[in-house]
Amino acid sequence: MTENTVTLHIDGTPYQMPEGMNLVDAARIYAGIEIPIFCYHPKMEPVGMCRMCLVDIGFEARDRATGEPVLNPDGTPQVRWGRKLETGCTTRVTAGMHIRTKTQAVTKARKDILEFLLSSHPLDCPICDKGGECPLQDLTMRHGPGTSRMAFDEKKRLGKHLPLGDLIVLDCERCIQCARCIRFQAEVVGDDVLAFHERARSLQIISISDPPFDTYFGGNTADVCPVGALTTVDFRFGARPWEMENIPSISPHGPVGENIALGVRLDRDSGGVKRVKRVLPRQNEEVNEIWISDKTRFGHHFTLSPDRLQTPLLRKRGELVEASWSDAIKAAAKAVKEAGNRVGIIAGPMMTNEDLYMLRGLAGHVGSRKLGVWPPNLGDPDPVAEVGIAAGSRLTALGKGDAVLVIASDLEEEAPIWFLQAKQAADRGAHLVVANMRTTKLDRYAGHVIAYDFNEGVDVLNGLTAAAISHRWTNRSALERVNGYDELTAALKGTRQPYKEAAEAMAKARNLVVFVGDDGLDPEGHTALLRAAANFLIITGHAGQLNNGLVPVWPGANTQGAFDLGFSSENTRAMLKNPPEVLILAGAPAAADPAYAALLDRVETVISLTMFHNAAAGADAPTTAVVLPIQSFAERDGTFTSAMRRVQRFYTAHGPAGQSLPAWEAVGLIGERLGMPRPPRSSALVMQALTEEVRLYSEMTYPALARVAEQFPPIGASPDFYGGATRSAAGGTGIAWPSRAEGRGKLTVKAVRAPEGVKPGPGELVISPVRRLYDRTPEFYTATLMHGRIPEPFAAVNTADASRLGIANGDSVVVHVAGAAVHVTAVVDSYAPEGVVLLPLYLSSEPMPLVPLAGTVEKITEPVPAD
Amino acid sequence: MLKEKYADRIAAIFAKYPDKRSAMMPLLYLAQEEYGYVTPEALGEIAALIGVDPTQVRSISGFYTMFREEPKGKYWLQVCTDLPCALRGAEQFYQELLAELDVEDGGTTADGMFTVERVMCLAACDRAPVLQNNFHYHENLDMDKMRALIRQWREEAGQPAPDAAADSADPDDSAAG
Ligand code: SF4
Ligand code: FES
Ligand code: FES
Repeated sequence: MTENTVTLHIDGTPYQMPEGMNLVDAARIYAGIEIPIFCYHPKMEPVGMCRMCLVDIGFEARDRATGEPVLNPDGTPQVRWGRKLETGCTTRVTAGMHIRTKTQAVTKARKDILEFLLSSHPLDCPICDKGGECPLQDLTMRHGPGTSRMAFDEKKRLGKHLPLGDLIVLDCERCIQCARCIRFQAEVVGDDVLAFHERARSLQIISISDPPFDTYFGGNTADVCPVGALTTVDFRFGARPWEMENIPSISPHGPVGENIALGVRLDRDSGGVKRVKRVLPRQNEEVNEIWISDKTRFGHHFTLSPDRLQTPLLRKRGELVEASWSDAIKAAAKAVKEAGNRVGIIAGPMMTNEDLYMLRGLAGHVGSRKLGVWPPNLGDPDPVAEVGIAAGSRLTALGKGDAVLVIASDLEEEAPIWFLQAKQAADRGAHLVVANMRTTKLDRYAGHVIAYDFNEGVDVLNGLTAAAISHRWTNRSALERVNGYDELTAALKGTRQPYKEAAEAMAKARNLVVFVGDDGLDPEGHTALLRAAANFLIITGHAGQLNNGLVPVWPGANTQGAFDLGFSSENTRAMLKNPPEVLILAGAPAAADPAYAALLDRVETVISLTMFHNAAAGADAPTTAVVLPIQSFAERDGTFTSAMRRVQRFYTAHGPAGQSLPAWEAVGLIGERLGMPRPPRSSALVMQALTEEVRLYSEMTYPALARVAEQFPPIGASPDFYGGATRSAAGGTGIAWPSRAEGRGKLTVKAVRAPEGVKPGPGELVISPVRRLYDRTPEFYTATLMHGRIPEPFAAVNTADASRLGIANGDSVVVHVAGAAVHVTAVVDSYAPEGVVLLPLYLSSEPMPLVPLAGTVEKITEPVPAD
Repeated sequence: MLKEKYADRIAAIFAKYPDKRSAMMPLLYLAQEEYGYVTPEALGEIAALIGVDPTQVRSISGFYTMFREEPKGKYWLQVCTDLPCALRGAEQFYQELLAELDVEDGGTTADGMFTVERVMCLAACDRAPVLQNNFHYHENLDMDKMRALIRQWREEAGQPAPDAAADSADPDDSAAG
């Protein structure tokens, strides 16, 4: 779009707007005039397929000889109208353009198109899930004919309950062939797994990928479908749109902080408890736009799982038995009191800021500073505070002239929405560099793919920085505020620079966003990689600029919040060397790592705050003395801080599982027994106290977090206009705290080297954990409808290693690492780098280390005994 | 596998187009030639050759009437019954052809010789009724000409008409179509 402002006359009234915008958006946004649409969607290229948006278009006449405007007798410019109507969605605003949206011809065209669309439509609105929020229904009421000239028995009969994969059901009769679903998959996602089959009235949507509809984003097609042709299996026939309350919420899965709305309703059989009937995206252009991953959409079912812990448990005569809250709190408080400052805390990925604040208050009260974060493999997050992506940045702003680097992360698996956004930035012309030790799907869209050997990510970034320094692609004015530049230059002298072109594209980019993950890294490696990324951003002048900066691909929904409140992975690791006397596991599946499972046995008492009482949360440890049931994100309110440092608020959607309490409250009760002041009465008050104590969060009061930033284009605001079930931003769009680079102070660069890494002995390989989107953590696996999509436990072995070890694809193998034995199926291909076995986390229920270590892989020749 | 068996032809097809995806139709023809129709496996093979999801290949094979996704007879008879052809008697011709071969619309004769289906415009509207037999055109047809052609094709295939048997056809046979 050019920045030229032009005048468009709509129905005779002049409106100012940027040149080049399509007529549908232009009329809606600048004049508040509706041009009805079906196939157009503001997040996709216009295709002009449905013809619903027909308008009359004219241009101001000019005298051919003189080039002067031809005027009417009254002095107004004469308009030459086109001979036929044209589609508004595919026509862009230019100077001197006039359109008419209310003429007889336009009105008739709308009526005709609707009659045509309905000629083969089943009109089963009374039993259709879309009824009540259906653009076809709404536009028919507004613009359609009252009756049809088509007899019902001539309608084409097609399949009505066709599964498109495990999660979406297709009703072919309702489909109006707008191709939004297909275009979403092809354009937005890049998984071309949907298509039309046959043609004309026999046309239907198909998917024959393996498995069918193989994508992490399929649920969004049900949102953008302008009719009830695509429905999700869990919401189908579940409720009417107008019966639900849409509770603003935040995805508890992953670092993106997808803004969502939980549609809740009282069910006849739900015993007076509201249920989440569906999860819809809530528009936030700075976060997830209007898309959510299927994990976020369908994973929420864990909140109502019967496996949730309902009551506190207390160890009595060797057994964990149900207990009252007061007994449980008494026991927990007693243990904490006796341990004094030898209390350690490990906080898991779904602990909210309020929970963490109360936990740290409790630790502070007894004089402990052992505030650990789970997982334990993360490095020092300080570079994020220094050069994290600038507050208010949007990935949607990236395009031609910009660059994105993704390093040590499989974005599709770890942060699917960022995968979409990085891919689309590349589609818009941004230079995408993907650097990993293994292939990832994002490689397809990259201008440069850098495949490095295990543990060489830091060298890659150092090489990029060295290239920027030696070619003077640095930014002179930025260097004025940099400490340590000369030392960095000296330290990098002689560094290999094999990726000069990538370095140049990134350094010279107008905007540069760098995603840094922890794939294949131990904590030292992760620390070094984050720092190395910061160095590049700083010396090339990108740090602190809008739409620039570092994005850490943290594992959890509130990992950043935990860091902000003084928790660290380092503290967690320190507990291995120096075990606390009492260990509080707050939503941390620590026993999923054998080293920490052993730690549980070495402490005197474990107090576990958890939603699920399972082995990972300490259920099998004899030291676990108190287990407290805590509430999920849907049962309470609170805040999560995304990895882009955006503090976002979510609201209570339904009642608690059993007697569970919000973690902050449970912690407050323990504190109260220890003589701390009475805990605040609401999470809003906890946050109030937090804002007074934590400088970074001084602005983040609940009322401030509830403020809604203007969204453009406003997609959720009018469901029938853009034809999406997407909700508007109501409830708050959150506030990101600024990085230090956004201030004026000095920035520091510091040379880092790759740590030594893992040195496998003879016969050993590196066993490197891998994060997968779909896993068997209870916060996902109890959403049983997803089971078909979760892979069996596997280990990816490089072809060369496999042939040396005599392992074939599909063999049962056992991976021995750090005392753990993990039984999996071998997937043999070139996906894993040579010498490295990739072992997905939480696919197997067997404990495995969260950091890369040396180990062995052995084929199981004996049949595995059934257990 | 097409990939091994027709490596040269496939290479020649790809060489013709700047974009691999453009080779989809020629590859579908190749698969149909090899397997008799576009089998589900063929969709996967072509998808792998081009580097797209099989869904995209099926979309193309489903759109065009030249591709068949179910097994077909040795002779594949496609008759246009679109409006211009219908005006020249194509619809009636088609019905008579079905009756002659004792087969349903879109079906295959019990002996596996003929598959008969109606298609949209064959671009020979002025010479209707028009029929394509395995992509060879036969124009200005009537049933006399048609019977002669059928006899000829049967002979070519070494399966002369089971004349008397045709009348007392086993009722179960129609189910096989
Ligand atoms: S299923 Fe829905 S989104 Fe897809 S083409 Fe049909 S109407 Fe459009
Ligand atoms: S043709 Fe314009 S919205 Fe469909
Ligand atoms: S309409 Fe029958 S061949 Fe053209």
